[in-house]
Amino acid sequence: MQGVIGAFRELDAAVGAIEALKKDRLGAVRVYTPTPRHELEEAIAVGRPSPVRMFTLIGGLLGVTFGYWIAIWVSDYWPLVVGGKPIASWVPYTIFGFEVMVLIGGLSTVVGLLVNARVPRLTMMVGYDPRFSHGDYGVWVECPPEKVRNAEALLKEHGAVEVRRER
Amino acid sequence: MATLTQPVPARDEPRRPNFASADVQLPAVKDYEQVDREIVGTLHPTVAWFMGLGVAVFFLLVGIATWMYQIYSGLGVAGYNPPVMWGVYIITFVFWIGIGHAGTLISAILYLFRAGFRTTIYRCAEAMTVFAVMTAALFPILHLGRPWKFFWLIPYPNWRYIWPQFKSPLVWDVFAILTYFTISSTFLFIGLIPDSFDFAMALTPGWHTTIFPPYFVAGAIFSGMGMVFTIIIPLRKWFGLKHYVTINHLDAAAKLCLFTSLVVGCAYMTEWFVAWFSGNEVEKSFFANRIWGQWWWASAILYTCNMVLPLTLFSQRLRRSPTWLFILSFTVNIGMWFERFVIVVPSLSHEFEPWQWTSYRPTWVDYGILCGSFGWFSMWFMLFIKQLPVIAIAEVKEIVPPKLKSPHQHGIDPSGRHFEYEADTPGEYA
Repeated sequence: MQGVIGAFRELDAAVGAIEALKKDRLGAVRVYTPTPRHELEEAIAVGRPSPVRMFTLIGGLLGVTFGYWIAIWVSDYWPLVVGGKPIASWVPYTIFGFEVMVLIGGLSTVVGLLVNARVPRLTMMVGYDPRFSHGDYGVWVECPPEKVRNAEALLKEHGAVEVRRER
Repeated sequence: MATLTQPVPARDEPRRPNFASADVQLPAVKDYEQVDREIVGTLHPTVAWFMGLGVAVFFLLVGIATWMYQIYSGLGVAGYNPPVMWGVYIITFVFWIGIGHAGTLISAILYLFRAGFRTTIYRCAEAMTVFAVMTAALFPILHLGRPWKFFWLIPYPNWRYIWPQFKSPLVWDVFAILTYFTISSTFLFIGLIPDSFDFAMALTPGWHTTIFPPYFVAGAIFSGMGMVFTIIIPLRKWFGLKHYVTINHLDAAAKLCLFTSLVVGCAYMTEWFVAWFSGNEVEKSFFANRIWGQWWWASAILYTCNMVLPLTLFSQRLRRSPTWLFILSFTVNIGMWFERFVIVVPSLSHEFEPWQWTSYRPTWVDYGILCGSFGWFSMWFMLFIKQLPVIAIAEVKEIVPPKLKSPHQHGIDPSGRHFEYEADTPGEYA
C-alpha cells in the first residue's frame, strides 16, 4: 500500500486537505481522528446510509422467530399440561419472542458494526500513529508514485505539521 | 433539559447562563491531550482504592459464608414460612435489576435524545448496569433449593430431554437476565472500542394490576439514578474530575431523577385509587393494611424516600448541591429497596383467606446475603474503576472544541456557546 500520511493539529486544516485531495482525485482518502467529528464525516462522505440497520432488522426478525419457535417447540416436545390450558400459549411466549428479538437484534447490530468497520484488524494500519488517538488528525491518501509529490505538496499547503511517504 | 429559570449562583459560583443541557461544554478542558492525561491518570491504584476493594471483598465473603451455611442447612434458615415464600431474595433481585435500568436509559434513550449530560456519566452507569445485573442474577439461584441444578432452566439439547416450563416466570427470568446481561455488556463494550411482568401475572392482592410494567420501569430508572449519584459524586471528587462531571450535568441528571420520582409517585396514588374505585373488598383491605397494618413502617419509609424527599429537587440550589444529591441518593436507594419489600411481603402475608395471614421475619442469613450482594457489586466496581477509564475519553473529546487554524471556515461552527477557560474558575460550574 503506497501513499502519503499528513498529520494535522487543527480540524479545519484536515478538512480542507481532505476536500482538496478529493477534488484533485489523488486517491482514496482515510482519516485518523481522536474522536468522531461530523465535519470529517461530511468531508469523506460516501453518500449512502450505513448498512448496519439491515443487520439489526434481519437479526431482530430471526430473533423473534426463534424466540416463539423455541418456546412452542419445547412445550410440544414435552407437554406440561396445566388446567387444560393450551400447550403452546402465545401470550406468555410473546415474552420470549420479544427478549430473543432484543438479544439477536442487538448482537447482530454489533456484528454488523464490526464487519462494516472492519474491526478488529489483524494487521497494522498503514500510516497510523499513536498521536492520532490523542489530539492530532491523520489524513492518509493512497496514491501511485507519480502522484505522491502532488499529494505531499497539497497536504503541506493545507497546514500539515508532518508529511511522510509510506510504501 | 434546559432550565427556563435563572440559576441561583452558589456562594463561590461565578454567574453563568444556565444551560443544563447538551449545549453545555467543559470550559476547564482545553484540548484532547488534557482529556487523555487527566482521565488515564485516574487509573493508577492507590492505597485508598485497595482499602475500598478490601471492604468490598470482606462483604462478599460474608455473603459467600452465609450462602454456604444456607446450602448446608437448607433454605428454611432464610426465614421463609408459608405463604411468604418470597422475601429478601426477590426484593433484592428486583432492587438490583432496577439499579441496572438507569444505565440502559442513559446508554440508549438519552443517547437518542442527544442529552449532552450523559457523556461524562454514561461509562459509569453502563458498568453499574452490568454489575447490577450480575448481582441480580445470583438471587434466583440463591433462592433455589438445589442451586447447582439451575442450568435445568436452560432449554438446550441434553440426555434429560427438554422440559422447561415456558409459562413460568422463572424461565422468563432466565431469558430476560441473559438478554439483559448480554446487551448491557455489549453497550459497555461498544462504548469501550474508542468506550415485570413476574408479579402482575399472579392473582395476589396488590400485584394483579396492569400498572405494574410502567410503574416498575419508572421505579427502576429512579433507583438507578440514585445509584448513579451514589457512585459518580464520590468518584468525581476522588479522581479530581469535577470539571468533567460538572454541576450542570448533576443538575440535569437530578431533573431526570425528580421526573421519575413524580412518575412513581403518580403510580402509587393510582394504585390507591384503583383499589378504592374497583370496589374489590380484598384489594381495598390490602391497601388499608399497607398503610395502617403491621408493615406501616415499611410503607412510611417507601413513601417518604420516594415521593417526599425527591420533591426537594424542585429547588435549583439543592439540585446543584453534590452533598445533598449524595445524601438523597442514599434515601432513594433505601426507599426503592423498601418499595420492593412493600410489594412482596405485605402481599404474600395478607392474601385472600384470613387464616393464611402471617408474618415474616428475615433472618441473619437474609441480611448476610444482602451484604454479600453489595460486596459483590462493589468489588466488581472497584476493579472496573482502575482497569478502564471511568469517563469515555473519545466521547468527551466530542464535546471539547477542536483546535482550529482559522475559525468560520469550511462550515465549522467554532461554537460561540463555548466559554473561554478562565483561570479563576475551577471549571466545575460549567
